Amino acid sequence: MPMKLTRRELAAAVAGAAPLAAQAPPATPETPAEELKAAAERLRRNEEAISKFALPMATEPAFCFKV
Amino acid sequence: MPEFGTETFFATIGELNAKLKARQFSAAELARAFLERLEKLGPRYNALALLLRDSAIRQAKTADEEIKRGRLRGPLQGIPFGAKDLLSVGGQPTTWGARPYATQVFDYDATALTKLSKAGAVLVGKLAMVELAGGGGYRYAAASMFGPGLNPWDTTRWSGGSSSGSGSAVAAGLVPFALGSETWGSILTPSAYCGVTGLRPTYGLVSRYGAMALSWTMDKIGPMCRSAEDCGLVLRVIAGGDSADPGSAGKSFYYGPQYVRPLKEVRVGFAPVDFEEWADPAARPDFRKALEVIRGLGVQMKETQLPELPYGAVAGLIIDTEGAAVFEPLISSGRVDELADRKQIAGLKAALEAPAKDYLKAMRIRRLIQQELRKLFVDFDVLVAPATRGPASRITEPLDRRYTDRQKPKSRGLSELGAAGNLCGLPALCLPCGLAEGLPIALQLVGRPFTENTLLEVGRQFQQRTDWHRRRPVGV
Repeated sequence: MPMKLTRRELAAAVAGAAPLAAQAPPATPETPAEELKAAAERLRRNEEAISKFALPMATEPAFCFKV
Repeated sequence: MPEFGTETFFATIGELNAKLKARQFSAAELARAFLERLEKLGPRYNALALLLRDSAIRQAKTADEEIKRGRLRGPLQGIPFGAKDLLSVGGQPTTWGARPYATQVFDYDATALTKLSKAGAVLVGKLAMVELAGGGGYRYAAASMFGPGLNPWDTTRWSGGSSSGSGSAVAAGLVPFALGSETWGSILTPSAYCGVTGLRPTYGLVSRYGAMALSWTMDKIGPMCRSAEDCGLVLRVIAGGDSADPGSAGKSFYYGPQYVRPLKEVRVGFAPVDFEEWADPAARPDFRKALEVIRGLGVQMKETQLPELPYGAVAGLIIDTEGAAVFEPLISSGRVDELADRKQIAGLKAALEAPAKDYLKAMRIRRLIQQELRKLFVDFDVLVAPATRGPASRITEPLDRRYTDRQKPKSRGLSELGAAGNLCGLPALCLPCGLAEGLPIALQLVGRPFTENTLLEVGRQFQQRTDWHRRRPVGV
């Protein structure tokens, strides 16, 4: 199963990325509930950033961590 | 007992070893001097977690007896050191910097500490750290049961995290070297902020057995020292295969600068935007000069930049989700609320709810990142960039707001080398290279896996031409 991406596949994958998108941070949360909401929002933003990548089905998760 | 002056407290491992061999003082005398200094000055910087007086004196006396009998164990024999309080010492508290674990005691030693002990090094104390090494993300330097790590160069500034006590203790001459750990920035940042030389080894080169887990796929243990050469001497001892660590690479490390190819053959990549735009304005003059020193080593310099990939988002998701899985019992029990930093508490709780698909997607993109970095390193042996954008932040400053009001440069350069390097398990060396606002700043050198000798040789030659690693804070 081919695991490497071609340049074209990579270009397609990164095309959806919004590099260096500057976002004004929300106000510092004042209560634990607001803090939890802000933490969930940070996770959601990270999820959104990676969801833009259309990876080929053959791309398996990394299992070697020194390459 | 001989008088110990600042020259001894700020000596390199090689210098101390020469004095021990020449019998200018004994290992026990040296250990007592450092114990006294660590006990007296450690609290000034919130750097000390636990003084290990009795065991240190015992280890030092053993070193003395062995040196006397001619049983020499190498350059670390009789040299005192400190270890981040995320490494277990059998029978002693290992707090991970976090109140819920304040009374935690393991009955075994971390492999890295066992190896140092076998080499004759003398553990004088455990050093403070950011709680749980910052898993979950924290907002304030005070995110530790020991209080904020205070920078010996200016105690209104942070020492960096999460190896805060290791950075402060080396910078203030409380120990000749220390062990720290890095998942994402925890060796390089305190090294840069405190003006010490720190090495993040290749993932798997140093056993993590006996170390707190934060992210199984990203945690590394490494030395924080006075020079690149000292980092090589310590790494030689702590590196090596360990069946007790599932991530162990099974490789050892021999520090051999003489075997590194000539620097004129070493290809160094850099991005001008890192030095001219990403760096703090106050730091730019010394960063520029440092880059010229690197160029002056005779290496082949060429501009480059990282491919456009979401390094930060991927690293963040992986650390958040692995960290939440590690600390699931803490989070579920509610004791997570005992942590010092509210943002960190919320971060851990929220990450426990992250869907598996997001983690797996991050790990799939991680593979892509690894592939791209591998391609980049076809053309380069070393990448050089600022270790941090500028000097240490103020203690009271929210860490997540520091650069939010600044216009981001148009080009990425190598500004995300920290996330990229950690996702790929790459080694990195932090080299003090100047001052900004009177505080240290530093370069990072990043190489392919297991090329620590190349990084250390570039670092060693840089330090032969500069004296930033020899500078020390006023009044310590």
